[in-house]
Amino acid sequence: MTAVISAVKLSKWYGNVLGLNDVSLEIEAGITGLLGPNGAGKSTFMKLATGQLKPNIGTVAIHGRRTWNAPDLFRTVGFCPEPDAFYEDVTGFEFVAGLLRFYGFPKKEIGERADRALDIVDLSKDKDRLVRGYSRGMRQRVKFAQAIAHDPEVIILDEPLSGLDPLGKRKLIKLIKGFKEEGRTVLVSSHVLPEIEALTSRVVLLHQGKVLAEGDVPYIRELIEAHPHMISVRSSDPRRLAARFVGDPAVLKMTFGADGRTLVVETRNRDHLFGGLTAAVVESGIEVEEISSPDDNLQAVFEYLVGK
Amino acid sequence: MTVRSAAREVFGFFFVLGRRTGRTRTFALLGLIPVALAVVARVFLRGRSGDLAAVSTEILMVFFLQFYIIILALFYGTSIAAEEVENRTLVYLITRPVPKPAIVLGKFAAYTGLMGGMTALGLAASFFILNAARLGDPALWATFFRYLGVLFLGVLAYTAFFAFLGTVLKRAIILGLIFGFGWETAIQYFPGSTQRFSIVHYLKSLLPYRAGSGGGRGVALLLFRLEPTAPILAVLALVGITAGFLALTCGLFRAKEYLSED
Amino acid sequence: MAVVREKGYAHWDGSLAGRRFPWLPITRTGIRLAFRKKGFKLALASAFLPAFVALGGLYVSERLEDFKGLVQSNRALLKIDPAYFQLFLTGYPLYFILIVVLSFAGAGLVAEDLKHNALQLYFARPLSKRDYVLGKVSVVAFFVILLTGLPWILLVAFKLIFAGNLAFLAAYPWLPLSILGQTALLTLFFGSYVLLLSASSRNTRYVIVLIFGVFYFSSVLSAILRGIFRSPAMILFSLPENLRQAGAALFGGKLPHAVPVVWSFLVLAGICALAVAVLARKVRSVEVIK
Repeated sequence: MTAVISAVKLSKWYGNVLGLNDVSLEIEAGITGLLGPNGAGKSTFMKLATGQLKPNIGTVAIHGRRTWNAPDLFRTVGFCPEPDAFYEDVTGFEFVAGLLRFYGFPKKEIGERADRALDIVDLSKDKDRLVRGYSRGMRQRVKFAQAIAHDPEVIILDEPLSGLDPLGKRKLIKLIKGFKEEGRTVLVSSHVLPEIEALTSRVVLLHQGKVLAEGDVPYIRELIEAHPHMISVRSSDPRRLAARFVGDPAVLKMTFGADGRTLVVETRNRDHLFGGLTAAVVESGIEVEEISSPDDNLQAVFEYLVGK
Repeated sequence: MTVRSAAREVFGFFFVLGRRTGRTRTFALLGLIPVALAVVARVFLRGRSGDLAAVSTEILMVFFLQFYIIILALFYGTSIAAEEVENRTLVYLITRPVPKPAIVLGKFAAYTGLMGGMTALGLAASFFILNAARLGDPALWATFFRYLGVLFLGVLAYTAFFAFLGTVLKRAIILGLIFGFGWETAIQYFPGSTQRFSIVHYLKSLLPYRAGSGGGRGVALLLFRLEPTAPILAVLALVGITAGFLALTCGLFRAKEYLSED
Repeated sequence: MAVVREKGYAHWDGSLAGRRFPWLPITRTGIRLAFRKKGFKLALASAFLPAFVALGGLYVSERLEDFKGLVQSNRALLKIDPAYFQLFLTGYPLYFILIVVLSFAGAGLVAEDLKHNALQLYFARPLSKRDYVLGKVSVVAFFVILLTGLPWILLVAFKLIFAGNLAFLAAYPWLPLSILGQTALLTLFFGSYVLLLSASSRNTRYVIVLIFGVFYFSSVLSAILRGIFRSPAMILFSLPENLRQAGAALFGGKLPHAVPVVWSFLVLAGICALAVAVLARKVRSVEVIK
């Protein structure tokens, strides 16, 4: 698959502070999550990708075209910025329609597109109110509306879910997932891991300006050999089950849960453990209620990589 | 989009936006103060037509030329770039298919349009109230249009200069105030060709009278130590200043990256 | 399907390009470091003084006749008495400098707090409205006193030191009080004036324009009205002229205009009262959205 957004040895300094350090990435069609704590470089990457900043070293391109001073590129790119900043003396409709003027659409089409975008984000009722009077959530939604009103192929969203209530977040997540079905490319950043997990399993993890990991979450987890896998088994007799594994060299550690029914096993060889578990259950007749991997998720992966 | 068509759209967007802000209303009201003064002058100077003429042709021009258009151009000129950066709305413009110079040109056109309208309204109303008895005199109209032309050229030149300052510097407005009310006033005391390093020199050179040709106290104020440049050259200089600083602004705006303070 | 990279320092494995002038970054850094040293900026500025004096000489040489006339008509400049202090402490140059400094230091005092909704943060602490306003006014007071009272009281002390006796103070014992009074007047006025305008907008740039514009527009307006009405009372519309009148009264000097000085004090007091009213309305912990 050809990369839609590609960065090659991208570095950016703010004076003496390094915002991005030698980042090389290829982002393909679909939804990619850009993840990292505050100050990791997510917004810097997005600003470079949307031509707001110029790289000090390296390049960033969309569809093979470098983004700095390439206004034509933005016919097919939509960006939802993170700061809560607007032209305050206009209505929501005027804000979206006003920015649509810059695409050269006919007047009638501008109105239709603006109405459609505002309808998608549930702002049709309030479209004639001044942006100044909008709540935090409404402002976030109108920001999103201006990013999608011109039907861009590539949508870059910087913390799009901040300020939204849980229902609003759900609606927006559903909407973003819909873009994937339409074949668009979405790059979405967040420092809230469950939000990214709800959107996509394909992530790029940034920390201190560098890419720590990229790819599907489960596969990233597989690669983190330094941290043994944790398997949690809830059963009728966890201690008898534990006794079966004490002598197994693949098992590094076992702990019992506070509920008295859970056994958590740490192992470097998950497949071997699952094989042993199956055999143990069959031979001992112990009732197994649930098997899960507590650390096969983004939070654990991120913590392991960052070392917190 | 071409620079021209993009600038046209930017103009349309910011002309409407600019009209709505409270600051535009405040500046427009400021421009109507001479109208109130003109009414007061007509009431109190009834029968003293010589004094009325002095008030209209000289004192009002002091207000407009050495105060009003400088204040307007300073605020709106520096706003072209600085306003977008301060309000963090620049992102909405540069992530559109709009060449960066078109943003500068479109906003320049929008703001000079607004300023021109405010200035024309204030000048026309106050001028014709004061000279209501002479409305049939073609010379009066010639004078009026000459004043208006001088003020429009002043708006263009000052706005272009302050737009350049606003693009280059973070604290452009203070330097702009020092230039507008310090340098432009003090320059008249400088000998030789130094006066030509100011915008106000070329504007004053276009005024429809010369020092020593008669007039009231205001003439002396406006033309104090003026060593005028020929009108054609003055117009060329003002057009050159406007075009030159606009070109520099466009070039700088295109090359510069703006960091918000968050 | 996935890549994991080690944390830690990553060596640059791209190609290194040479600079055209490799010594330039060293020069730039050296100059920048020099400017960071305390006192360097002052020392550098002072180093240009001879050049400015020379420039002044060049200017005078072109305008010799004007300067001969100026010296003859202003012998008062060479006579050190309360009028000398009054001339400097009530003059337009001082007002211009104060306006420039206060534009930098004072324009955003309330405007920035309004813009960023910071008033709620202030009043979530054990801080009253009075404390907030007092704190903000003190910023203005600091700079006004630094530029007026402090240097001019020191100048009185220098006068006594240069003279080697206290004759000057014996001749004008109330002069230090006049200086302090003028400082207090300027502090009260500019504190009120700057905070009044700072509280009137969330846009600091606009406030800076207002600080300059209102101050100088009042002079322009006063001049126009004087041209129409030919009455000295029109100076009451001019803020700098009211300050000059009040200052002249404090120094016991001749009033610049034939207008009772109490009117000027009333105008200035009116500005202070307006500032109090506006601040009382704008400075509150809860923002009311209509």
